[in-house]
Amino acid sequence: MNELLLTCRIAGRRAAIPALCVQSVIEVGEVTPILGTPDFIRGLTALRSQALTVIDCSLALGLKPGPIAADQRAAVVAIDGHPYALLVDEAYDVDEAISGPIEVPGGFGAEWQRAARGLVETTSGPTLLINIESLVAGPAPMAA
Amino acid sequence: MDDLLAEFVAETREMLEASGGEIVAWEADPLDTGRLDTIFRFVHTVKGNCGFFDFPRLERLSHAAEDALAECRAGRRQPDGALVSAVLAIIDRIGAMTDAIGSGEEFSEGGDEILIAALSADEPRALEKPATKHAPDAQPDRAADPGASNNTDTLETAPSVPRSANVQRSIRLPVELLDEVMKGVSDMVLARNDLARRLREAGEQPTIDAPFERLSTILADVRSSITRMRMQRLEHLFGSLPRLVRDLSKELGKQVTVDFEGGEVELDREMIEMVRDPLTHIVRNAIDHGLEGPGERIKNDKSEIGFLKFSARQSGNQISLVITDDGRGIDTDRLVEKALAAGIYSRVELDNMSERRKQHLVFEPGLSTAEKVSALSGRGVGMDVVRANIEKVGGSIDVSSTPGAGTSVFLKLPLTLSIIAALTVGSGGQRYAIPRSYVEEIVFGNSSQIDFATVGERRFVTFRGKRVPCLSLDEVLGVGENENEDSSAATGKTFVIVRLATADVFALAVDRVYDHEDVVVKPIAPAVMETGLYAGTTLLDDGRPMMLLDLPSIAARHDLVSEGRGGFKAVEEETQTVTRNSIPVMLFTALDGRKRAVRLELVRRIDTVAREAIDIETSHAHAVIDGQILALAGHEKGPFPDVRCRLLRLTDGETELVYAVSEVLDAATISNDIVSSNDDVSIEGIALIDDKPVPVIDGHHLFANHCTPRQTKTPLSCRVPGDSEWARTILSPLIEAAGYRVTTDEDEETDLAILLGEDSVPTSDPAARTVIRLRREPEGTGDGTIYRYDRNGLLAALKQARTEAIV
Repeated sequence: MNELLLTCRIAGRRAAIPALCVQSVIEVGEVTPILGTPDFIRGLTALRSQALTVIDCSLALGLKPGPIAADQRAAVVAIDGHPYALLVDEAYDVDEAISGPIEVPGGFGAEWQRAARGLVETTSGPTLLINIESLVAGPAPMAA
Repeated sequence: MDDLLAEFVAETREMLEASGGEIVAWEADPLDTGRLDTIFRFVHTVKGNCGFFDFPRLERLSHAAEDALAECRAGRRQPDGALVSAVLAIIDRIGAMTDAIGSGEEFSEGGDEILIAALSADEPRALEKPATKHAPDAQPDRAADPGASNNTDTLETAPSVPRSANVQRSIRLPVELLDEVMKGVSDMVLARNDLARRLREAGEQPTIDAPFERLSTILADVRSSITRMRMQRLEHLFGSLPRLVRDLSKELGKQVTVDFEGGEVELDREMIEMVRDPLTHIVRNAIDHGLEGPGERIKNDKSEIGFLKFSARQSGNQISLVITDDGRGIDTDRLVEKALAAGIYSRVELDNMSERRKQHLVFEPGLSTAEKVSALSGRGVGMDVVRANIEKVGGSIDVSSTPGAGTSVFLKLPLTLSIIAALTVGSGGQRYAIPRSYVEEIVFGNSSQIDFATVGERRFVTFRGKRVPCLSLDEVLGVGENENEDSSAATGKTFVIVRLATADVFALAVDRVYDHEDVVVKPIAPAVMETGLYAGTTLLDDGRPMMLLDLPSIAARHDLVSEGRGGFKAVEEETQTVTRNSIPVMLFTALDGRKRAVRLELVRRIDTVAREAIDIETSHAHAVIDGQILALAGHEKGPFPDVRCRLLRLTDGETELVYAVSEVLDAATISNDIVSSNDDVSIEGIALIDDKPVPVIDGHHLFANHCTPRQTKTPLSCRVPGDSEWARTILSPLIEAAGYRVTTDEDEETDLAILLGEDSVPTSDPAARTVIRLRREPEGTGDGTIYRYDRNGLLAALKQARTEAIV
């Protein structure tokens, strides 16, 4: 159960994305905004001949972004055949999970809980494992 | 249908190859049941396919073999050497017949009975069954639709009409490989676009431009072939439906005719496979639940025979497919009851639903209106699954139904991965693409032809007598918060007149129009799709992403799509009557700087050529455009600009000529009469445009003076002596200029033959209808010959021969 994880900072907290899903980590260049979309969709950016949909992970969780690293990076993933760039506050490194994801009593807080796969122990401490599908779906609707 | 046949042949060949080893192994050990099963499956598949294609001989053979093998599988018969040989003989025959079908040759008659009899050497009873079990696939819609009824006709005749001897070979490829190639080509297009931009910036470089043009042309060809590789006509899908309908209707004791429309529409191969199952299900539903039995139909005053129609059309980057039946429609009361019983909705919720919303309950999982679960539809696959499958491929499904009159199911399927021609427009500092198929016209806001009106909250643009609703792209996208209603803001805009597939027209105001571009459309993330504004994304040639606007959906959001007829057409008709008598013209400035007009019907296009492409001699002038030499007019009016010349390419329907102008101004309409002028024959008259007199060019005069006689499609032939240098180099050009085709072939029968004096009397009559003899001496000898340098005499003789030949 030594899953490789990309550790990063989202909304000021340590989080991890399964490294298997991540095709590459890029520095996002120019982003073309898409009008009419929710805030968490920052726009499109081009990677070679692909147009990536740029998702701001913090906003997608319904949270405010923390301090942004000077070289803000994004993880390139493909979900249902669509390529996305998941923009994080800061990308750290690829780390190894020591334990499988576990639930904690009381949850991680409403916003985090929705996207959480559980807590994983890594060599650099406990980290929240993020379910990337729920990032792409965006924050829970305000009403209802 | 030929495609289907080719596929059948390919598939059978493939199976034959694959089962070759099995056959040998079976021969070694007839008792090996594993081998037996494989061979059984092969003949079974062939039999099934033959039934569909109506190849009675193949079917009988495979059926007989299948029967014999089935006996063995059931243990009623022991396979022995004789049986193995008999089956192998049949398989060989199937292979040979398949080859014959593939190459369109006739396979020799007879011989089948012996093979079949060999199977049942020890049991004669096995023979009786097969023969005429399957009657030729009688299609109910033979008269109704030529496209569909052709299916069987072509097949019946296919083996007997020998096509070209070389078979068109086909191979199967994994779709992923095609995708990969396609993606590679798409990337190549992007790289080319990037290069094109850099070349443009660097200015003209003839040494690079020409090879680059060549590269572009090749790339365009490759791209269209690749696209074709992935595309398949919908006929392919339609081809299997008559059979399905026939089987289903027979089983259910109903009579159904099917009609197809739009089989020529092309769709991504993969997409066709994806919709095959949902479509089958919709057909099942329509026949099972939608269409009533004959008795009920007669009682309801309908024709005894039910009607099922499939129509497809391409609208932009979507294919819409409509399946309509004239059955009883969706029973919403029953749906409501079921939904209530299943606990999906409460009574209050259901009561508040509109009729349309209730119809949509068919897409709820677990609901079916069937009174009894039939063998066909009640297989646990409901319309909910159909919808899920359609949505999975990025399509949408809708249903509308009128009780007692029928149901229509609307499918919309995207053409993903396709390259579309698009118009790029700018708004709010960004570029967007619009599928060019929607764009009818582009009008500049500062044109005098355009008028604005605001009625309530709705804005209108009146252009060329048509009043159409207007949307501002800024507002659609939510950029421009400044609600500038005055027309001064509008004049700075450019209006793209959009015509949707539903024939609804509206104007889209954009900041500017950039260019025509071919774009590779990629699907967009679902969250972006949800906005309903975009249909896809594409990359600009500088590598930046650009969104493709989803115009039908934008129009629908602003209630600009009329349901069926009506809508804004009424406005259109009203205003059109006023302008009916007007003559559209194009205004331009001639080389002498004066304004003139030419009837718009004459103008084919506007060309810009380099000065070098124009050649003016004393009496005649020509211009070279796209490798074509065209007569030039209008050059006598004044001096040419130094570098580039604007040319109007005019046509009288047959010939073309170009008219040099210094500037093309605008299109206009002449609503009053044209005052004829007697002094100048080159003009038709003087027209009043914007209260100013403008001379209108006389098309008849122009073409009468400048057009060269068109060469007839099949020129008359003329033989000249092949051994005479003079005839070849001096005489032939003259004859060709007179509209003849020159040949030196002695054996060819020609319309005209020219003989030279020194040939004296020909040994045999030349195989020609008319003979012209030439002499060397200028003096006439009274023998009907013509002096070889008597140009006029020769031309007259050629002309006379021509008139005779035509008579």
